[in-house]
Amino acid sequence: MITIKHEGCIFCVGCSSVCPVNALEAVGTRIKHYPEKCIDCGLCVRVCPANVICMHKGIKKCADLPKDD
Amino acid sequence: MIDMDHDVIVIGGGPAGSSFARIAAGAGLDVLVVDKRKEIGVPVRCGEGLGMGDLVKEGLDIPRECYSTPVDGAKVIAPNGKSIVWKTEDTRGYVLERKIFDKWLCELAINKGAKVKTYTRATEVLKDENGKPNGVKLSHGGRDPYEVHAPLVVSAEGMESFMARDMGFKTVHQLYDVDTCYQYEMKPYDHENLIELYFGNVVAPRGYVWIFPKSDRKANVGIGIGGQLESGEKRGGTKGATPKEYLDRFIQNHDQLKDSSSLLDFGGVISVGAPINEFVKDNCMVIGTAAKQVDPIHGGGIGLAMQSGIMAANIAIKAKEKNDYSREVLFEYEKEWRAEPGSIVEKRLLLRKVTEKISDDDFNHIFNCINDTDLMHIMDGNFAGVVGKVVATRPQMLGVLSALLPGKS
Repeated sequence: MITIKHEGCIFCVGCSSVCPVNALEAVGTRIKHYPEKCIDCGLCVRVCPANVICMHKGIKKCADLPKDD
Repeated sequence: MIDMDHDVIVIGGGPAGSSFARIAAGAGLDVLVVDKRKEIGVPVRCGEGLGMGDLVKEGLDIPRECYSTPVDGAKVIAPNGKSIVWKTEDTRGYVLERKIFDKWLCELAINKGAKVKTYTRATEVLKDENGKPNGVKLSHGGRDPYEVHAPLVVSAEGMESFMARDMGFKTVHQLYDVDTCYQYEMKPYDHENLIELYFGNVVAPRGYVWIFPKSDRKANVGIGIGGQLESGEKRGGTKGATPKEYLDRFIQNHDQLKDSSSLLDFGGVISVGAPINEFVKDNCMVIGTAAKQVDPIHGGGIGLAMQSGIMAANIAIKAKEKNDYSREVLFEYEKEWRAEPGSIVEKRLLLRKVTEKISDDDFNHIFNCINDTDLMHIMDGNFAGVVGKVVATRPQMLGVLSALLPGKS
């Protein structure tokens, strides 16, 4: 799954515009991620101009993420 | 039969949506514009350049506060530093204050009778028993969803275009067809009222660095590079480098900018591919950037969005008169758009695809061969003369450039 470091996000909606499954969306003042829709394709990671999206291969649940994320 | 609350629901209050609403409401249609942002025009995600011709065409007199500075034209800089200044009556324009400009456009629509609701997100397109859109589900600030009905739903959503996807339009962006961008507003920068564009695979693989002058010695300094970042590496770029890293490097190497401060960081993703394959279906239309109506060379979308909004609104007015919102009736907008400005957008897409195959050395060679008139021909889509000039002195470039010749596209 992916994680977003919201502090560095510039809210440009690049990620949501390339996401093929609508798993990212600008809501309010944040990018919202819907992990249940995410297919781990990594397009958002590659397009993000601020480099704030990280891919964690093989991880399916938030609880399994490394601590510093 | 469901009671209709409005004639049209427009999703998105940017230049496309506001222009649509202004024209449609002006002709007496009941128009509701919803925008999920708290404030129209915020956040700015754009270089803010707009050609004067775009406004003149639409008979709009832009108030002084809507733009930061007028510009006379552009200066295009090759990888080796050689520049060509392109300055004619047609190249004049503005570097806008998008926040104020977008609000002004929206207010014009309100003046004509359109109803605008901010912080109101469309979460779902409602459909009748035949699957045709007849309204949207809305929510203000994420609370208390409610339904609003209209026989026509217009997506003017910009890059995200979720509701357009919900209506079956293929608006998801491919990585190859986007440029990923980063921009600083910087000060001080002394300029000559020209937009500066720096090309080259080292500076900005498959894109360019822009400096858009603003008032009070300020400038928007930004970069757009190909969405497939690693593609630049083969041609002298840096593997996996982000646009911000490229931009920071450019600024470090720039005599004036290296000592300037930044006032604002922002970024975005620009569509530089082809427009979507259909703009209309029964009871719905897609306009502006949501339909990927963006110039593939310079990434400008404001002028095209306004134009598209007006074209679509004129057809919506006809549809209302006939009380027929079928694809057949609405298709006239698509037909008109594809003829003009669509044909020029298509030529610029071809140009973009050829440009990305050109090495910096060949790029320098082209710049040694051409002048400002040639540059104008290139932007107008008349490539033959320029290709002739370039190939005469470097025949090996014919392979790449032949795609620009008539009959090859």
